[in-house]
Amino acid sequence: MNRATIAILVAVVLLPFVVRPVIAAEIWLFAIFGLGLNLLLGYTGLLSFGQGTFFGSAAYVAGWLLKHYAINVFFALGIGIGVGALSALLVGYLCVQRSGLYFIMLTFALNQLFFFIAYQWTSVTGGEDGMPGVPRPALLGIDFKDPLAYYIFVAALFLISLWIMKRIVESPLGRILQAIRENEVRAEAVGYNVARFKLLAFVIGGAFSGLAGVLYAMLFGIVPLEAIGFVSSGNVVFATLIGGSGSLYGPIIGSFVFIWLSESMSVIWTRWPLLLGVAFVIVVLFFRGGVVEAWSRFFAWRFSKQKA
Amino acid sequence: MLYALMGLGLSLITGVLNIPNFAHGALFAIGAYLLVTTVGLIGNFWLALLIAPLGVALVGLLIEYLGIRRLYAAGHDYQLLFTFGLALILSEGIIVIWGPVGFSHLPPPILRGGVDLGFTFYPKYRLFVMVAAGLLILATWLFLEKTRYGAIMRAGIENKEMVSLLGIDIHKLFTAAFALGAYLAGIAGALTAPIRGINPNMGVDMLGIAFVVVALGGLGNLLGAIAAGLLIGIAQAVVAAYWTEASTAVIFAVMALVLLIRPQGLFGIR
Amino acid sequence: MALLETKSLSKSFGALAAVKDVSLGIAAGSLHSIIGPNGAGKTTLFNLLTGTFPPTSGRIFLDQKDITGTPANRIAHLGLARSFQRTNVFPAFSLLENVWVAAFACGSSWQGLLWRRTDRYPQATERARTALSDVGLLPKAHVAAREISHGEQRQLELAIALAAAPRVLLLDEPAAGLSPEETRRMVALVRALKGRYTIVLIEHKMDIIMSVSDRVSVMHFGALIAEGTPAEIQRDPEVRRAYLGGIAA
Repeated sequence: MNRATIAILVAVVLLPFVVRPVIAAEIWLFAIFGLGLNLLLGYTGLLSFGQGTFFGSAAYVAGWLLKHYAINVFFALGIGIGVGALSALLVGYLCVQRSGLYFIMLTFALNQLFFFIAYQWTSVTGGEDGMPGVPRPALLGIDFKDPLAYYIFVAALFLISLWIMKRIVESPLGRILQAIRENEVRAEAVGYNVARFKLLAFVIGGAFSGLAGVLYAMLFGIVPLEAIGFVSSGNVVFATLIGGSGSLYGPIIGSFVFIWLSESMSVIWTRWPLLLGVAFVIVVLFFRGGVVEAWSRFFAWRFSKQKA
Repeated sequence: MLYALMGLGLSLITGVLNIPNFAHGALFAIGAYLLVTTVGLIGNFWLALLIAPLGVALVGLLIEYLGIRRLYAAGHDYQLLFTFGLALILSEGIIVIWGPVGFSHLPPPILRGGVDLGFTFYPKYRLFVMVAAGLLILATWLFLEKTRYGAIMRAGIENKEMVSLLGIDIHKLFTAAFALGAYLAGIAGALTAPIRGINPNMGVDMLGIAFVVVALGGLGNLLGAIAAGLLIGIAQAVVAAYWTEASTAVIFAVMALVLLIRPQGLFGIR
Repeated sequence: MALLETKSLSKSFGALAAVKDVSLGIAAGSLHSIIGPNGAGKTTLFNLLTGTFPPTSGRIFLDQKDITGTPANRIAHLGLARSFQRTNVFPAFSLLENVWVAAFACGSSWQGLLWRRTDRYPQATERARTALSDVGLLPKAHVAAREISHGEQRQLELAIALAAAPRVLLLDEPAAGLSPEETRRMVALVRALKGRYTIVLIEHKMDIIMSVSDRVSVMHFGALIAEGTPAEIQRDPEVRRAYLGGIAA
């Protein structure tokens, strides 16, 4: 077991005692969201600015079924992953044919499509008010209404997701996606159908986002409209970039930073998104490469000082 | 019409600067708010219509000069995050300054009421907006096609290295393009204010539509953006007559459909 | 019997005819060079052969089978591998990873694509190592591609093509930008590959062409103007004219 794994396990165990279990759960589920995005952003080099589509769609569908059909937890998870993957398939199919700016804009525009549908279809989604009343059904007799019990559930799913993502990035698929990022033309020339692989990355990323969405719905008991909006998409991009898109663990760090930032800012000011925007701007102007890089730069500086 | 304006401005910015400008919607909203405030201050609609977009252009200038300029080499993900962060700052800023509830704003007295078109009563103000927007588009088009500065901008879309090799200060070009794009967004916003009232979310709604217009028209394809904008505007009006709620969603659906059949957009080259 | 054949292959970009009515036959196991002044259409011809874009007209045959219009990502699986004129590698990958990606693509099976670790594919790894050692880069297997010298990158370029275990190698100016010493090594490399592979070579450096080729085709303004043994080509007046002042003998 390497150091990173140990650190994560320790964090998982200690976190609910450092912050409220609800916040702790939010951190891990947002990390799942980030892992999904990073497969696209960090590994394949695709800046998908519409992950909210998959996150939100999964949350709405699973939330609806949980609320009105009292499905069990496993089924809800399955639905979430399925809806996330399916919506990603649709969106991805339209988007992978373009690249660069065009691609980013398309993912955004399609995100807006889903957003507007959710906004208008008030009978199902509740529109601006969101979909309240999503239950957290018990599993195998364990009552998930206890925040700590649900936390353990979310954390366990996070660990499983992390393991799966680790397997994927270390697999040939992981290398092929990175090859596409490094040199798309050559990847095609050595025999990979690049568009299909990009689509596969999309679907996997969508599945992860969908899982995060369901967990979110069950955590807060409500699916707000923002979950499917471009703010949600932007938040996960921010978290991934600030954690560092170059590594598997970047999104995890990013999730910590983002949740910490948004939680602490939201108590200061109702208009905290403004501060969030300021944070984004500062990160972009001064902290490119993310926390991971800033950390190593800091260590290098400290180290050189010690030597001198 | 307004969509064409927004599309043109965004197409210009994305074409020349090659960055995703997610703050474009916020600039639109600021244009609307500035108009209302200016009218409140000086009491004259027409003067306000002149001044407010200039204010937005100024904001655009500052944004480009202080921020975007540093990010040209940074890659799309950071540019996106930056403009996204800006969009948050601007839209929340609007709420801070003007409050979370929107305003409604009446058109100036001459333009109130409707015109009898025979089959329907059409609001005078909307006609005015159509005409004004049309004239603006024409003016911008002439500027881009006929003047030297316009030609430089169009060349900048095609080939930035060439332009800088020709001795033109590429930084000034970028600033000018961004300011012009912002101006167009601002005046679109200012014109919109009396139609549906203003509220802090109008920026986000418009942003998506602007992106659709540019995606359909082709990045940097200015004529395409205009055409796509008009097309979408008409499509939306038609749908709105039969199924009001779906009218905005339809725009995106149309885009998805078009891209399915023609991945390069309606006018893009591939 | 020609292993790789084109029949009246043409490609136009709008009004520009880049390749005009080219009919070529390349015998199995031979080394066939294509020469011509800049802009003659040589790289475009390669692009047609590798499916980068489809021809405007004409056909391409591999081992008597019509492969015209096959997209680039399928061509590699048919046994045609190519190296590029401008180094086209995966910069952040190590040399071994660069070559491994190519080896895996044309490997026998993609089983475990999503979950098996990349070091658990002995066949692909073995082929990758062989390709690297063929070009002499095995000692640097774990160095990142962007950190090696230009000459070594040209060797890597070749290794990536070899890793696919192709039947036909299309080499586009492998000696581009190399010093005389590096060029000598590249020539020795190409000569060592002769016989094991069918090779189509685009080159500008005449001494390379003359010393390794079995046959030479000359292109000019998109069309084939001459074909024959190196000696025949050297004597051909058409060819001399095309090169404006003769070929260095």
